Amino acid sequence: MKKFFMKSTAFLLASVVVLGGLTACGGKDPVADTTAANDSSASGSNDGAGQTAAGGESTFTYAIAGDPGANVNVITTSDRFGLMTIKMIYSPLYMYNADGINYFLAKSIDTSDDKLTYTMHLRDDVKWSDGEKFTADDVVFTFEAMADEKNAGWAYSQLVFPEGAVKIEKIDDYTVSLTMPFVNSAAIEMFSQIFIMPKHIYENVENFENNDVNTKPVGTGPYVMAEYSPGSYVKFTKNENYFLGAPSIDNFVYRIIENENTAMTAIQSGEVNAWIGTPAQVAQMNLEAANLTVYPYQEGRVGYMMINANRIKDENFRKAIFYALDKKAIADAALLDPQYYDLPWSFMPPNSQYFTEDVEKYEQNLDKSKEFLAASGVTNPELTLAYNASDSLQSTSAIMIQEQLQKAGIKVNLTGVDATALSQQMKQADNPYDMYFGGYIMGIDPDTFSSLFESGAPYNYMHYDYPEMNDLFAQGRKETDDAKRKEIYTTIQQKLQDTACFYPLYSNKRLLVVSKNVSGIEESKLVPVYTFEDTSKLQMK
Amino acid sequence: MAKYIVRRILTAIPMVLLITILCFALMHFAPYNAIDAMTTPKMSPETIELIKAKYGYDKPLFIQYLRWLNGILNGNFGYSIVTKQSIAGDLAVRIPNTIKLVLPAYATAYILAIILGLLAGSHKNKAADKVIDGISSIAIAVPSFWFSMLLIFILGYKLKLLPIVGMHSVGKEASMADFLRHFIMPFITLTFTFLPANVKFVRSSTVTQFSEDYVLVQRAFGASRGEIMFKHVCKNVLLPIITRLGMALQLLVTGAIITETVFGWPGVGPYFIKAIQGMDYPIVMIILVLSSTLVILGNLLSDILYCITDPRIREMG
Repeated sequence: MKKFFMKSTAFLLASVVVLGGLTACGGKDPVADTTAANDSSASGSNDGAGQTAAGGESTFTYAIAGDPGANVNVITTSDRFGLMTIKMIYSPLYMYNADGINYFLAKSIDTSDDKLTYTMHLRDDVKWSDGEKFTADDVVFTFEAMADEKNAGWAYSQLVFPEGAVKIEKIDDYTVSLTMPFVNSAAIEMFSQIFIMPKHIYENVENFENNDVNTKPVGTGPYVMAEYSPGSYVKFTKNENYFLGAPSIDNFVYRIIENENTAMTAIQSGEVNAWIGTPAQVAQMNLEAANLTVYPYQEGRVGYMMINANRIKDENFRKAIFYALDKKAIADAALLDPQYYDLPWSFMPPNSQYFTEDVEKYEQNLDKSKEFLAASGVTNPELTLAYNASDSLQSTSAIMIQEQLQKAGIKVNLTGVDATALSQQMKQADNPYDMYFGGYIMGIDPDTFSSLFESGAPYNYMHYDYPEMNDLFAQGRKETDDAKRKEIYTTIQQKLQDTACFYPLYSNKRLLVVSKNVSGIEESKLVPVYTFEDTSKLQMK
Repeated sequence: MAKYIVRRILTAIPMVLLITILCFALMHFAPYNAIDAMTTPKMSPETIELIKAKYGYDKPLFIQYLRWLNGILNGNFGYSIVTKQSIAGDLAVRIPNTIKLVLPAYATAYILAIILGLLAGSHKNKAADKVIDGISSIAIAVPSFWFSMLLIFILGYKLKLLPIVGMHSVGKEASMADFLRHFIMPFITLTFTFLPANVKFVRSSTVTQFSEDYVLVQRAFGASRGEIMFKHVCKNVLLPIITRLGMALQLLVTGAIITETVFGWPGVGPYFIKAIQGMDYPIVMIILVLSSTLVILGNLLSDILYCITDPRIREMG
């Protein structure tokens, strides 16, 4: 008996070890030896990509890296692949991206004189995919569900504020008004990208994130969900009654391919028509031979290095660091090709209308760096730079920064850390790192950036504490005059650069690789998160 | 014997309970929890409290554990934090897919391993043995993801013989031919992954048996090589091999994690990996518990099989 017990105990231990091993390798993607996929240049693959000729119907297959799941709904779904699915099935009132407002279910918005009430005029020619008419009731129903705390909707904090909640009112069948509790210039953006669900379907649903209705969605989008195969794909067929005109491609498929190397081979072999790659992956591919085109597009992401203001309090020392850096060289090393990035000079992405170049740019100047270093009185400077070890962009940037600062006489120790652990540590003001990286895709409105810089703000990982900045952000939020707002945010950008805590590195673009027989990419507009603003405009030869 | 089996089953129960406690505790001490995944820094503390209460995270730890355990026992595995789907429902789709892939591959590898292992073991240090043992040694060191990428590159990309991703082409769920075309590459990879360790096991077991005294005695009596092999050695070699079968039980869930991920096979592998990356704790916990429970059950099974097939053990019990 004892022997058996020992045996079982040994197995127990062994199983824990085995499982531990599994978890360990599961944490990172299997770092496949890419040689197999790399040398794929030679083959002249010119078979018709994606012509899944099932009765002459055209099918567009887009490789995505994760499963959207069967419970996609407009209230709680907030992950990228879920939102991409929602964009196919449902329509928002309007989309608000860097190029401005694009109307979908709404035709126009009137703003009241007191800048509190926004009146949305809706289209009266829209039908749900089950034939029911779309009306203001659906809009009111959706916004009310979103503003109900118990539903835990993703946009809750955009509709309910400490000062009160947005008032949602139906004026007539095709007019809805939304009233803010206080003046906020970002309101139009806050109401955007909220997709409208059908009241007649969801009326009696108690739990939006989990119910039977979610699996048979009824929407107003360009496509209708036809089939969801867990872990494999989501298939959509075109909505002939789409209010902006029936899509030209019959079927649209999101094919789930989690492994990057497999996805890379699949796009080259023509098994999928579109895929998102990194510059390094795209550089490995022979685009001509595989009949592919790359569309780099700006998502408004800013990658940056931050200095922990809690540890390096001396502004001169921080400036010495900034003057030693060469932004262009870092971006070139990390992103390979200038067409894959823009260089930001402040915290705003260069495609923002509030972006200004009229700031201290800290162009590399080793003499200045040495002057500031001398002025700071720091001798034998030694810094710790923490980075996410599994992110190739961050590790390349870290090495470049180490090398550049070395030349200015500043020694940098690199610490590669697990992404989650690092972000947990960054939140603590007494974390042991002097510098680390960040990256964000914030909203279009400049106020969305305040959460990075205001004292004690949720994303203020620099532990930046300048009361003057808090005041400026508060002013910008209340100001409704565009010209004056622009002035305020220009000042903010300038002052922020002058305090030398935040070093914008690059604004990297997302690279959409598409087979050459697909056209209409420009017309369908490439946008953050959803990729295509309107898939109905895509065409296939 | 019945007494022995009952005793083995009874010892397995606390083991499984221990596993659930271990999994729950490990997840609890992870640097990040389910609440962090569900809330954003923008939410007010009240909202966060509300979400905590909704999912029962405001209760003391042991209550949380008991609720969770109670759920598992009743088949309610909870919901994914990321996709909000029922985990039991997801697994009901994914485990069969994994079994479809692992079972044929393991069976093939198992039968091949017995044949090759016996062949190699009975011809120790001869050409056949050197080739089989040599190849197994190399194969044991070949990572499965690399091997699968190689297959994808040659069969899928260069020669364009087979589709690269998934289990079916879109809209061809009913077509067996389409399934088989998708099945070949992951099947070869898995067979190739399971094979070498089993071959080595059978080989060394055969070699040991051949060096036993009874073989020498048989030889002295003038028994032919075939007689010794099939009448005597085989029986003794196959005994430990049967127990290996039980220990392979957990492979039905977690046996193909890497291979499935590479081929985009909609089984447990990609689901598990995605859950780990997305810090979808409920899923990770359930799969850990499931897989470790199967390890215990597998060992229980192999002990019982051993007991049935080997009278010597029966007497010891």
